[in-house]
Amino acid sequence: MHDHNHECTCEDHGHSNPLVPTMVKVVKITDETPDVKTFYVTTEDGIPFKVMPGQLAMVSQLPVGEGMFSVSWQAEDHLQFAIKRVGLLTEALHEIEVGQTLGVRGPYGNGFPVDECKGKDMLFIGGGIGLAPLRSFIKYCFKHREDYGKITILYGSRTSADLCFKDELFDKWPKEKDTQVYVTIDNPEEGWDGHVGFVPAYLEELKPNPEGTIAVICGPPIMIKFCLQSLEKMGFNDEQVITTLEMRMKCGIGKCGRCNIGHEYICLDGPVFNLAQLKQLPPEW
Amino acid sequence: MSDNTAKAREIAKKLLQEGTVAMVLGWEKGDEPYVSAPTVIRDAADVDRLVLDEYCIHDRAALLPDYRDRSEKIAIFAKGCDSRGIVRLIQDRVMPRERLYIIGINCPGMKDPNEYFRAASGMSKAKPAEKAAKCLSCQYPNPVIYDEIVGETQQPRDDKRFAEVDKIESMSADERYEFFIKEFSKCIRCYACRNACVACNCRTCIFDETKPQWVGRSTDPVNNMLYQIVRSMHVAGRCVECGECERACPVGIPLMLFNRKLIKDVDQLFGPYQAGLSLEDDALPPLSRYRVDDPDEFM
Amino acid sequence: MKVLPSDKIREALNILAGEAKVYAPMVQGDASGYFQWSDNPVGELLLDTLNTYMSPKNIVMPQTEDMYKFVAQGKDAQVTEVVYAGGPRIIFGIRSCDLQALHDLDLVFLTKGYEDEFYKARRQDLAVIARACYQPGPACFCESMGVDRLNPQADVVMHDLGQQDFAWEPKTPKGEEITAKLQGILVEKDVTLPQAAEMKTKVDITGLSEKLAGMFEDPAWDELASRCMNCGVCTYVCPSCYCFDIQVTTRGDAGGRFRCWDSCMYKEYTQMAGGHNPREFKKERFRQRFLHKLQYFNERYNANLCIGCGRCVIMCPNSVNILEVITKLKEVRLDA
Repeated sequence: MHDHNHECTCEDHGHSNPLVPTMVKVVKITDETPDVKTFYVTTEDGIPFKVMPGQLAMVSQLPVGEGMFSVSWQAEDHLQFAIKRVGLLTEALHEIEVGQTLGVRGPYGNGFPVDECKGKDMLFIGGGIGLAPLRSFIKYCFKHREDYGKITILYGSRTSADLCFKDELFDKWPKEKDTQVYVTIDNPEEGWDGHVGFVPAYLEELKPNPEGTIAVICGPPIMIKFCLQSLEKMGFNDEQVITTLEMRMKCGIGKCGRCNIGHEYICLDGPVFNLAQLKQLPPEW
Repeated sequence: MSDNTAKAREIAKKLLQEGTVAMVLGWEKGDEPYVSAPTVIRDAADVDRLVLDEYCIHDRAALLPDYRDRSEKIAIFAKGCDSRGIVRLIQDRVMPRERLYIIGINCPGMKDPNEYFRAASGMSKAKPAEKAAKCLSCQYPNPVIYDEIVGETQQPRDDKRFAEVDKIESMSADERYEFFIKEFSKCIRCYACRNACVACNCRTCIFDETKPQWVGRSTDPVNNMLYQIVRSMHVAGRCVECGECERACPVGIPLMLFNRKLIKDVDQLFGPYQAGLSLEDDALPPLSRYRVDDPDEFM
Repeated sequence: MKVLPSDKIREALNILAGEAKVYAPMVQGDASGYFQWSDNPVGELLLDTLNTYMSPKNIVMPQTEDMYKFVAQGKDAQVTEVVYAGGPRIIFGIRSCDLQALHDLDLVFLTKGYEDEFYKARRQDLAVIARACYQPGPACFCESMGVDRLNPQADVVMHDLGQQDFAWEPKTPKGEEITAKLQGILVEKDVTLPQAAEMKTKVDITGLSEKLAGMFEDPAWDELASRCMNCGVCTYVCPSCYCFDIQVTTRGDAGGRFRCWDSCMYKEYTQMAGGHNPREFKKERFRQRFLHKLQYFNERYNANLCIGCGRCVIMCPNSVNILEVITKLKEVRLDA
């Protein structure tokens, strides 16, 4: 899933200088939640580079800065980024309008093990904006539906307004073959008659069967920690549990040093790790 | 100074054995004879590690903010300059007085271990000075605040603190600009001066802010100058002249020159005033409080 | 053997500087480092000390390095120029320890999936004239880190014969090329190479990397980190520390992205936008530095990142000493 060898060269990544972005245009912006927007970007010649589920790209508003985001889906003719407004760059991104030119470079990271998971039942567990990277894998599974078994999606957010990708969550995904979607919010709300409670607690209620299942988790570090404990209790072994880690990133190519956990660089050897690999790393995330 | 070492160990042992403090901030010998390294003693059995000699130049108060969010009582060895730093920290509410047991050291002046190391290692041909540069004009060698004292009372040294300042002030504007640009061009923005400074204790430093980013990180003359000037202005009126900034600087920028200029200005405009001398309310830095009779001819 | 006489060194540097950027050890006031030579240099040549305070890494990895320029107006934006600082370069007088650090930097910037084009531009046409090291200091421990201080792998190796006369040994075709340029200056002489003084400071790092792999949570780190003030001087004077930041500068509609040195000692190094910081506390950053130097780099690149130059030991304002850290870590008894 991740290797230290990286025999590929810059040419394989479609750019002669991995630190210099390609210009793209924003063709569409949708509001997912009060502080999350999805940006659809592309160039005149189509997508700037192919992206596998779970991979990342650096998006820059040139005068402001650059940030690493997961590509929440690579469509035929555009890339989608779901971006939460948390800091200087994301605030600037949330101000832009359709037609804006941004810079992107990538794809970075190891992506999800889409081939190794073929034939398995998939259990996706997401919290908040963590659904964005999971979404790329979820949609990939639906695109290649016959390659995967039962699909279960468990997702939670603080409030109903904070749930991302609502139309897919409530409308499209439940209609897919052999797919169950469970959504929860932290506290009771007027008008919400769905499940109420934290994601790890809901997970324990659902008691998923570990046999032949791969669990893929993405969300706030605290949620991941509790879910890992629960899955272990339920009998999932370390190779059956996958997560994506997040660290501050600047170069994206494993050189600037800051995104390391132990000797792994999250931008290059990650961000996707299974629990067995995680346990080899220092608990620094 | 070995009497002082014996006394220091005795004091520390008593404090730890009686449980008066949870830890003692002092110094211990390193591998080289000219290294007395800052250390923390928590167990009475370890007090024989402590030394008090002429290489104990480090300002132990500069590391007090590490313990700001905790509650245990701390004993700290403090020379004159260190004690002024402690007053500053108390005034800045980083550390309440009650948490500190201050063992004052009447300081005869220290040697700079880094100068000795540089010479001994062959990195520098310069002979290490008998006394560190920062100690030469010291006006407060005896601690201004303490719970007990070690060493003989010292006299303040010859006050030549503003000799260099006067020299620069007598330059023309162009000459001054040339001088400063030359010095600032050496800056590599390591921020050691800020991290060594006892007056620089903001939880989030202005130079770490991103919204907005006040000073860029590139090492061009403009950004370097901005960094140095802003930092000097931020500590204006609060600098206790411990000289740790200049000692820490790996490229030898005369940082105390800028600080002393501002010390002189604050003293003349709002003073007489020297930072960190007393815990009385009216001894707060002039730029930290407002008085109706503050001078305003420059406005 | 050929000899470069001390009174001809300036002339030699001027000749070489006619066709390449030449970097030599120089001192300006209290600041010594490898600066660019010109016939009217800022500062003086410094060939009679062990080494310089600032390392030569600035030659391939400058403190501030422009990456690309752009124009951004309203909704439009484009990269207008990518800045490559190519061209021939010569390091004159580098020590074996710093040369080993340069090889570590090559591993970082030129291997593992991507080649850093900016580094490559500065590095690929870099000739190395090294100085063999006969008089180590008390903070030197390069031999313990696997450095051959008397036989650096360079294009030319110089040996200090005293009074700043240097024996001159070309070792590669590039070295021969440089030697040919200095034909009129180098003299042929019988020389006795100096006696190499023993390197007194030693530390045994066998098995250290493996032992550290099990010591992440060890309480020893609290004590070791207590005197550090996270000032970052160690990382800036270190010839093999390479962490960098990428930042942007703008003026009106034009701007540029540049990179600059950064340090794992700083809190914001790992500060994430949402507020989470995996290395919030000093101990965690201190631990990161030493584990990177002594364990992670070995695991990833199979090479030592610390090359034993001793600069961090000499320059640390609070007397943190990597030798002491290694010794204390080795003494820790791990439970079976």
